[in-house]
Amino acid sequence: MEQEEEKVSNAFIPSSLSSFDLEQVLHALPSNALNHLFSLGVCVRCVLRLFGIKGPICASVDNGSENPLDSTTSNEAKLCNICLGILQFRFYDDREKRVLQKDTAYDVALLIADMVKQERYQFDTFSLEVSIPPLILQNETCLKYGSEPWFQEKLHTGCISIKDALKFSLINPLENLLGCKSSLCPFRIRLTYTHTKALEGVAKCSENDGSESDLIGQRPLSSTVEIESFDSSKLFLKSASEPCHFSYNCSRTPFYFGGRYLKYSRNVSQTRWIIDDERMGEASVEEIIGTKVLQACRGDNYKFHAAGREDIDVVRMLGPGRPFILEVQNTRLVPTEQCANNIEKMINEVENKLVRVKNLKLVGSDGWNLMREGEAEKQKQYAALVWTSRPLKDEDFQQVSSLKDLKVVQRTPIRVLHRRSPLEREKIIHWMKIETVAGSSQYFLLHLCTQAGTYIKEFVHGDLGRTHPSIGSILGCRAEILQLDVTDIKMECFLT
Amino acid sequence: MSNHVIEESNSSATKELEQKQEKEKEEEEDEDDELRKLLLPDVCNLPSVPPSAVESNFAIYFALDFMKPGHDQYVYRHANGLCVIGLAPSHVSFKDEGGITAIDFNVGKSDRSGVKVTGKRKKNAQHFESNTALCKVSTKNDSYIVRCCVKGSLLEVNQQLIKQPELLNASADREGYIAIIMPKPADWLKIKASLVSVEEYKKLREVS
Repeated sequence: MEQEEEKVSNAFIPSSLSSFDLEQVLHALPSNALNHLFSLGVCVRCVLRLFGIKGPICASVDNGSENPLDSTTSNEAKLCNICLGILQFRFYDDREKRVLQKDTAYDVALLIADMVKQERYQFDTFSLEVSIPPLILQNETCLKYGSEPWFQEKLHTGCISIKDALKFSLINPLENLLGCKSSLCPFRIRLTYTHTKALEGVAKCSENDGSESDLIGQRPLSSTVEIESFDSSKLFLKSASEPCHFSYNCSRTPFYFGGRYLKYSRNVSQTRWIIDDERMGEASVEEIIGTKVLQACRGDNYKFHAAGREDIDVVRMLGPGRPFILEVQNTRLVPTEQCANNIEKMINEVENKLVRVKNLKLVGSDGWNLMREGEAEKQKQYAALVWTSRPLKDEDFQQVSSLKDLKVVQRTPIRVLHRRSPLEREKIIHWMKIETVAGSSQYFLLHLCTQAGTYIKEFVHGDLGRTHPSIGSILGCRAEILQLDVTDIKMECFLT
Repeated sequence: MSNHVIEESNSSATKELEQKQEKEKEEEEDEDDELRKLLLPDVCNLPSVPPSAVESNFAIYFALDFMKPGHDQYVYRHANGLCVIGLAPSHVSFKDEGGITAIDFNVGKSDRSGVKVTGKRKKNAQHFESNTALCKVSTKNDSYIVRCCVKGSLLEVNQQLIKQPELLNASADREGYIAIIMPKPADWLKIKASLVSVEEYKKLREVS
């Protein structure tokens, strides 16, 4: 008996097997084990995998006659009590919304391949992932703690898990249908089996179990399962009533595009800004860039990350621009550098020039360093259009220019006080320079270079005295700001 | 011999590339110059007196004769819901000779200037009714109670006033603000009905 078992369980079975050989293989297994398993309502493929038998033998199992040892073969084979139909290729298909019975693994692979082709994914390799309901693992654990010692031994040394068995049977047909090899890679084909409805009867692995209904589907098996008084006939679900729900889809790990943007409009916010169902501003930088990228890569959605932000009414027209990273999820295409160049062109060639993108490229983890660069730019440069309540004179210009590294204390501006902590923040204005405006003695351009995080508008109008000093307090009059631009350019000419 | 030729063609290729890069840079600089010109506005388009920061960012309301005749206060409400409270120009205290000389936040059950509100959730903020006393302003011969006008959480009082009460005389409408209150949306709607707009205020108080 033992000799035969050894012969069978580790055998590599050549592909030329016929179903007659399947009978042979089964007969080679200990018959009391087989009978026991079949009596528990276990399907043939599960039996084979529990004994560690893999290979094409499994493919040759005909779902019509599940149990060759059973004299009463029925055409409608009963649902396996362990795999709940997964290895019998019977399931409720989420796409077709009905129970399907496939004959071979190839047929199942066909369903999956069709889906992949429909979505028109671009890939040169794929990774297959399977997820099965925890209930099945519970069932298998119950079985493992079953009575016969030889049984336990076999299960511990050779048995193949349901996931592995399914993958073994699907990988080759999928590779053929999709025209490439499988490997560990970012493009994943996910097969998800779930079991939502309660099963008839109850799985009991311990005499002292709590309420029966708890075990149905939900509660994970405790690791301290009582083994002693096992009666394996009590181990199982009386019968599995329905097959699993089977859903399948593809997904890809996200791609990241990095670059810098310039903003030309005073009516474009950085991110989508909606209050009470109404959009603030006419567009957002995030959407302008994100929708183009999404379109080009055929992705599901995007996430916009920028190194800092500017107000909706502040433009950034000069200089290198603000760094950003756009994360695109589940792209159907694999983006390339050329793709990035095309996207950049598309964004920049739009008629109403609201936003411009520079240096758009694919980035890996180094992309996040680019962002740190932007935040680490400790000094920001601006040009503000300022009005004063009295005309300015040369002394005023000189006074302002003479202030270097001016310390400013800013209490949280009222306009953000609703969402930020009430604090006093000390900031530094590195230098300032006034540029006169032709035809006016009360309007001028204030160029300033400040520490990152300085509220410029509040520095000009004083925020009811909560920013001190302010331009108004320095000049001894009222000052208002009409316009603010981020300039971010080397202004050596203004440093002296 | 062939190496020499290759070297030459390489160097001319790099020269071309350099020239191209230089040209691109020049174009960029030209563009920058043009944009820089955009920063400078056309003066004839600018108003001689632009709207103030308060006018641009807040909706201005007035509470007239609040609890007592002559006790006129303003409420600046920001789009984010916060309300700045202060003395309207027609407040009775300004009629006293010498104007306001002192301010005291220690009224009611606590010193309003002592509370520390922290965090985004504005922990420790006191919840006041619209008629709760905020502070007391004193003139040479009299003192007047200033009230919240708006039911809500008191976020801050203007500490500067303690050291510089003259701010109330010089610019009660800006640096002389008294407090910032955060009302719940429903409470704001209730009180808004009893407040008047800038136009109405000007008419009622015969101010220009």
